[in-house]
Amino acid sequence: MRLYEYEAKEIFQKYGLVIPRGQVVESAEEARPFAFQIGGPVVIKPQVSTKKRGKAGAIRFASDPEEAFRQSQSLLGMTLNHEKISTLLVEEKIEIDKEFYIGMTIDYSSLKPVVIASPLGGVDIEEIAQEKPAMVKKIGFSISKGLTDQDLEEQASIFKPNEQMLMKEVTKKLYQIFRDYDAEMVEINPLALTKQGIAVALDAFLNVDDDSLFRHSNLVKPRGMSQEEFKFEQSLKEKKWKYIEMDRDGEIGILSSGAGITMAILDLIKMHRGRPANFLDTAQMNAEGIYNAFSLFAGNTKLKVLLVNIFAGLNRCDDLAMGIKRYLQEHPLRMPLVVRMIGYREDEGKSILKGINVETIRSLEDSVEKVIQIAKGAR
Amino acid sequence: MSIIAKRSTCVLIQGITGTAARLHTKNMLDYGTKIIAGTRPGGGGGEVYGVPVYDSVAQAVEKHPNINTTILFVPPKGTKEAALEALNAGIKIVVMVAEHVPLHDNLEILEEGEKKGALVIGPNTPGLISPSEQTKLGFVPSQYFIPGPIGVASRSGTLTYEIVSRLTLNGIGQTTCIGVGGDPIVGTPFPKILRFFQEDPETKAVLLIGEIGGTREEEAAEMIRDRKFTKPVFSYLVGRTAPEGKRVGHAGALIEGNRGTIKSKLASFGEAGVPVADTPADVIRIAKEILKD
Repeated sequence: MRLYEYEAKEIFQKYGLVIPRGQVVESAEEARPFAFQIGGPVVIKPQVSTKKRGKAGAIRFASDPEEAFRQSQSLLGMTLNHEKISTLLVEEKIEIDKEFYIGMTIDYSSLKPVVIASPLGGVDIEEIAQEKPAMVKKIGFSISKGLTDQDLEEQASIFKPNEQMLMKEVTKKLYQIFRDYDAEMVEINPLALTKQGIAVALDAFLNVDDDSLFRHSNLVKPRGMSQEEFKFEQSLKEKKWKYIEMDRDGEIGILSSGAGITMAILDLIKMHRGRPANFLDTAQMNAEGIYNAFSLFAGNTKLKVLLVNIFAGLNRCDDLAMGIKRYLQEHPLRMPLVVRMIGYREDEGKSILKGINVETIRSLEDSVEKVIQIAKGAR
Repeated sequence: MSIIAKRSTCVLIQGITGTAARLHTKNMLDYGTKIIAGTRPGGGGGEVYGVPVYDSVAQAVEKHPNINTTILFVPPKGTKEAALEALNAGIKIVVMVAEHVPLHDNLEILEEGEKKGALVIGPNTPGLISPSEQTKLGFVPSQYFIPGPIGVASRSGTLTYEIVSRLTLNGIGQTTCIGVGGDPIVGTPFPKILRFFQEDPETKAVLLIGEIGGTREEEAAEMIRDRKFTKPVFSYLVGRTAPEGKRVGHAGALIEGNRGTIKSKLASFGEAGVPVADTPADVIRIAKEILKD
């Protein structure tokens, strides 16, 4: 879960990192008095979940309160990467001497946390790493021991001697945040060095591991989505369902259990030039689970067909068939249904569905061909 | 022969009194797995299907020094504590079935496992099964597996059942099938498993069931290309049509920039001479071709 810049900055400040004086505003009117209070140039930044605000021209500068008002007005309501801008962070503009990069993340190859630092900040660190690898220092460290003095020493060696002390301090604080917040990634880019020799976090990025949110429940709130969408997302999480909308104009809905098999179905559908609309991967299927899962698809008017894949290993075909039967008896389904069913108590499941005129198909490939046929016929 | 899960495997079940743990303890015992003991923190005593239940791993290991493997049927929140308890008690194979173990917890477990010279399998794995040894560790449905020459390593449980059941129908059996886990960080990624299969004389060929995300398929391909793994390998890769930046089911199945793309995996396998199936039926065709030689 990625925090907004201002949220990350609040945390940074708590850990003793210096951030610019700033204020979060939701209207252009609020920007004016704050800019006046600053009494100098300000930066205005949308609080959105995309990382590429600068490239999109969505970071604005204003030299006086009037301009701050105008720039805020033009940003609010703008859409950035499908996300409507509703919140801005207005900050004093810092006089910059140098810009550094510092970040911490997890290296999936070495299975270690890494600290990454560069004296070239303010730009895409991956580009720097490719173009000027000597200017980027990446050090893996032990998760249980944390950053040792030796790690810090080595990391700081990429900076000038008179900057090393300061960078070690910043790194230590960043490490505390990394650990305390179960960060997938925490990053300051750029970290500005002022003429007075103060390191200021101009930007702040903090991505908290979704699986650790039980330890950080106070951070869970809607970002870049409506209350309704947020509630829906939370309800999926509680059920341990993975539901993904693939294509607004898609025609085929998929209800399956297990990530790998679901991906295989999507691949097969696309291979036959079908258009999957959405899929639900239910963690564990049983009669009640499949009954509830149907409700996610039933109301979708765009779906031309629904594919249900049942491979019963630990669960039972007949139990799942009962769940489908109950749903269909209580609710009329708008779209045709294709049930692929194989596994434990398959014959029993098949005859239950046959009793309500639902045919089952045994082979996965055949069931995919069937849904594509139906989708094409409905066009 | 087989890898990791063997007749000599003596199993502890941590959290044995939970609903899922009871069910799978029964299934494993029925299959032939030697389950020696179980634990229930703070509430030992009694039995589950004849298996004695202890307060702690240390207690269980003291009473039954032959325990060499543990399976964690504990929720993701408790996985770190349970895994460290097992590692500290000297157990050398730890199977973690839970999905959604926090990333930092996972890193701590794997680091400790490495330090102790233990093998940590998972998290987010259905476990593993060796049909000729009548031993399964975890909850793979055993009816789809028969003894034979193929070693299988997979990032997905459900897809393993789908593919292996077809191998079995075609009379192609397996030495060991291992779910390596669907998380981005797992203790036994493909390269590590290949080293085990290399040492197992019964394994004649290996099937890698992979997916987008991460670089483990690429690393395995490198091993094969460099002749560090010398048996025939074939693969089935899914997630070919997954949108970038969206998690399609597994936390590990995420494409970020150029990393983890299907293109890169296909290219690496191509370079290593590993045939890649594009449908489940194609996997069987390739398996038959490989076994013909």
